[in-house]
Amino acid sequence: MNNKIAVQVDDLTVAYNYKPVLWDIDLEIPEGVLMAIVGPNGAGKSTLIKSILGILNPIAGSVSIYGKSYKKQRSLVAYVPQKGSVDWDFPTTALDVVMMGTYGSLGWIKRPRQKEKKATLEALEKVGMLPFKNRQISQLSGGQQQRIFLARALVQDAAIYFMDEPFQGVDATTEIAIINILKELRKVGKTVVVVHHDLQTVPEYFDWVTFLNVKKIATGPVKDIFNDDNLTKTYGINYKVSIQE
Amino acid sequence: MSSAQFEIQLIASLVAIACAIPGTFLVLRKMAMISDAISHSILPGIVVGFFITQDLNSPLLILLAAITGVITVVLVEYIQKTGLVKEDTAIGLVFPVLFSVGVIMIAKNANDVHLDVDAVLLGELAFAPFDRLLISEVDVGPKSLWVIGIILMITITLLIAFFKELKLSTFDKGLAASLGFSPAIIHYGLMSVSSITTVGAFDAVGAILVVALMIAPSASAYLLTKNLKKMLFLSIVFGVFSAISGYWFANWLDASIAGSITTLLGLLFLAIYLFAPNKGIIAVLYREKQQRTEVSLLTFLLHLKNHDEVSERHVNHLNEHINWQKVRAKTVLDLAIKNNMIVIDNNIVSLTSKGNTFTSQAIDYIITNEDAQIEDMKDDFFLFRG
Repeated sequence: MNNKIAVQVDDLTVAYNYKPVLWDIDLEIPEGVLMAIVGPNGAGKSTLIKSILGILNPIAGSVSIYGKSYKKQRSLVAYVPQKGSVDWDFPTTALDVVMMGTYGSLGWIKRPRQKEKKATLEALEKVGMLPFKNRQISQLSGGQQQRIFLARALVQDAAIYFMDEPFQGVDATTEIAIINILKELRKVGKTVVVVHHDLQTVPEYFDWVTFLNVKKIATGPVKDIFNDDNLTKTYGINYKVSIQE
Repeated sequence: MSSAQFEIQLIASLVAIACAIPGTFLVLRKMAMISDAISHSILPGIVVGFFITQDLNSPLLILLAAITGVITVVLVEYIQKTGLVKEDTAIGLVFPVLFSVGVIMIAKNANDVHLDVDAVLLGELAFAPFDRLLISEVDVGPKSLWVIGIILMITITLLIAFFKELKLSTFDKGLAASLGFSPAIIHYGLMSVSSITTVGAFDAVGAILVVALMIAPSASAYLLTKNLKKMLFLSIVFGVFSAISGYWFANWLDASIAGSITTLLGLLFLAIYLFAPNKGIIAVLYREKQQRTEVSLLTFLLHLKNHDEVSERHVNHLNEHINWQKVRAKTVLDLAIKNNMIVIDNNIVSLTSKGNTFTSQAIDYIITNEDAQIEDMKDDFFLFRG
């Protein structure tokens, strides 16, 4: 980790029908961290990611990726939406879904070619899904679908990865496989931001954490700030989590 | 076949193709009802356009009506966004009102307007060949043919150019937005094409059949394929098939062409719903039955694997201990023998080495749901196909 800031969020406020779901968020995500965003349901975790990625329009505030607006830095960012946000009965194959990750660098109208196909196969290999490449996506298990989504982000070869609950509804093997890939990404200097639900695994999986509940409660290294005090402030009830050193 | 008959079939087929393309994406976006809304609410646009141009095939009229279609979509979305009612309610609120405005406008000006409500609902395909396009006094074919032909060319060009964008934004709006493919632009693009197609097809086949041609072929194709390009292709084939056979059906019955085409579309969907190889009702029932047998087979094999004792592996034991009836037990035994998984010697059942490996792999697969080695078994057993 160095001192470069990968993502900077200033005074971000987002509202649905004039009801704020994120209030005045200031956040700096340093380059090269593997960061969890934790908070109760309705805390605005997904909203924060979507606002950073320009999918939602904030009513106030700004976001910059390496000092420039998201629109100028799209190619540096990959996004894994919640698995439940798409229709898995859509008539397409695993290969084709992963290929969608290459569309961003292609731009409008241009079609994927040999180069994109090769990158897609490599990404499938990385997540162990190569044997399933021609499988219709509804015929995949929940864990396999999540791996496909991860592969689709990997194929973008971005600098920053945003993932919305990648561990939701996956089996233990897939969870380990995914976290190992995320740790590898960090090792090569990528920044990874994950909306995460399982507080028990935070110290084991992540080195950076942001507590969020409509407002930002705290952000920083897990070893410094992942404590009962912040958990209580975020979740509103007394939390006792033992942290293994 | 006279040239008029040929022209009617050609127009109907082009309409079917032009409808099937946006229809496929509407079905996949779960927006089938919006095509119903558009097809009805463009009526006031058509009437106003007709007052101005006095020509049902004028480009200005098509443009005006298509704008009414897009306005419908905007209104529906606006009402929906208030959060007071759900989308289907919003659709149900908007289009009958706009349609009625059109109906009143026709009724009030019945003397001046060559439009009647019957024609609006069911079209006048039979009369389409009479309205010719003359260029410097030369007859170049029916006007409807030119109108729908041009619309179809535009649709196909847009489809080829933006296929990737349409697919992405239909499957995953969030990713599309984050990659810079504005889902709003693609959404309204699709809505505009749907509106223009509806208007172009309206004169020929009427408000009701336009909906049928957009939805039924795509819904039928959806049951048959897992590939978007094939789904588009099949929708087109089904649309054209229904258009042509519907024409001859109407000819034979001496009935409305539009009505016959729609009836055939319904029958086509019914047939596919029943007989589709994977998602069809009969296939589903068959699969469920097979799966029950396969689960029994696996239970039986696992029992053999877990018990070395001869008494546990006696044929009669199947009935007594596993508690299966004769028929079930026989089916399972036959299946196991057919696949070389067991041998029966003196009424004692033993696993073969193939049966042994299969059982371990299968159990392993069911528990972890991942084992590349089991991939080829998916052809033989429904159980592993998910």
